[in-house]
Amino acid sequence: MADLHGSAMTCGEVAELASGFVLGSLEPAETARVREHLASCPEPHPELAELGAVVPALARSVPVVEPPSSLGPRILAAARADLAGVEAERAETAAAAAAEAVLHPAPIPAPTPAPLPRARRRPAVLVELFRRPAWGLTAVAAVVAIAVLGAWNLQLRAQVADLAAYRDGVVAVLDAASSSGGQLALLKDTTGTGPSGLAAVDPAGRLVIAMHDLAPTTGNQVYEAWLIGADGKPLPAGSFVVPGSGTGTLTSSVGSTEAGIVVALTREPGPGATAPTLPIVVEGHAQPASG
Amino acid sequence: MTQLDDHVGAARLADPGDPDLAAIARLAGGELEALEGLYGRYGTMAYSIAVRITGDPGSAEDVVQEAFLGAWRNAARYVPGRGSVRTWLLAIVHHRAIDSLRRRRATTELPDEDQGSASPLGLVLPDVWDEVAATLDRETIQRALAAIPVRQREAIELAYFSGLTQVEIAERLDLPLGTVKSRMRLGLLALRRELGPGDRDG
Repeated sequence: MADLHGSAMTCGEVAELASGFVLGSLEPAETARVREHLASCPEPHPELAELGAVVPALARSVPVVEPPSSLGPRILAAARADLAGVEAERAETAAAAAAEAVLHPAPIPAPTPAPLPRARRRPAVLVELFRRPAWGLTAVAAVVAIAVLGAWNLQLRAQVADLAAYRDGVVAVLDAASSSGGQLALLKDTTGTGPSGLAAVDPAGRLVIAMHDLAPTTGNQVYEAWLIGADGKPLPAGSFVVPGSGTGTLTSSVGSTEAGIVVALTREPGPGATAPTLPIVVEGHAQPASG
Repeated sequence: MTQLDDHVGAARLADPGDPDLAAIARLAGGELEALEGLYGRYGTMAYSIAVRITGDPGSAEDVVQEAFLGAWRNAARYVPGRGSVRTWLLAIVHHRAIDSLRRRRATTELPDEDQGSASPLGLVLPDVWDEVAATLDRETIQRALAAIPVRQREAIELAYFSGLTQVEIAERLDLPLGTVKSRMRLGLLALRRELGPGDRDG
């Protein structure tokens, strides 16, 4: 056998290791070197398909054991948690992008396509043996690619709409805050990693809020804004609903407000709440924005 | 067997209405509900393989969960030409199960990169074979396994179901490494002959 770390394997060495490779039974270093060889070798390696062909059948030889009925739901729940993690990350990126877009509008970057695997030559003998039309594979690949692109396109359009909604909200908030005597508050949850957004109160007594990453409302639920002054008494300041995108905006008239007021959001079972239902989702101190 | 002649498998694979391909496309688009259908079709098979390899229902559940999550995260990397969705999925299950076994034995760990690659083996498996494997019933495959020389079967099973490397098998059986390699190779070829199209390619 050639040295373990240095020069590349020869086709002959790969052929010698083929049975161990297809059964996943090589030492890790050997597996890596076989992969390395296959990645760069222009020659077909029919021995791999020849020996590997029956490996899927091995998996089907095992006695059937029914999984517990809880396993399916458990997997779906885990996938949902996984998705929530991914979306939180994406929303964070989207929020950053939205903030950026307010100042520097820029075209949406092209997506990074999923890495396409290297096409490997199908061993001629097998093609002939099975006479499988090559266009079949291409057609399937195309169908999957179109479906994936279609789904991605829908997703992107939804994301762009979400981004635009949040951006418009942020612009409205900044407009309100930038008028003379306007106040601006950064709304965050206690962890600083959950939903966030901006609120402004302008001198005319208009409250403007733009939020992202909020849990969507269902049924009659609303998010209620509260203004908490020096006396510590929360006053309801308007409510709004949040769609699946997690973006929510509010413009309401609250009358004149003192400086340093606290803006808070709670989730309420329905509109018209007179006292906040804890916990507070996000809050922030309004500060004079001029300067 | 007529699977090869009537191209049932090929037709199914190329069918855009194939629920497995549709599920993979939906997963790649972020629709995790598609996982439900895949689990409904292959959950039992996945669990059976995981139990066979890990020998422990708790570990098997973890393995199946990891495997389906792996499929969900890596759906965009699935390539139809590299074998069916089922084979892809079950190969991920196999890989995770062996990994779990090896972690417990605290010996060789599998490289993690495998998890989502189109075929965890990184090979082009002939699709028709793939479909043949799918249409063969369990008893036929078990009969074929029983028909090959016992020492060859032992080498294959220690590798595939016990997750031993060739070196470990040689140590355990107190055999030269070359003998283990040749038993595996001859065993795989014998199994191929037993199972099907090898002797009817005229």
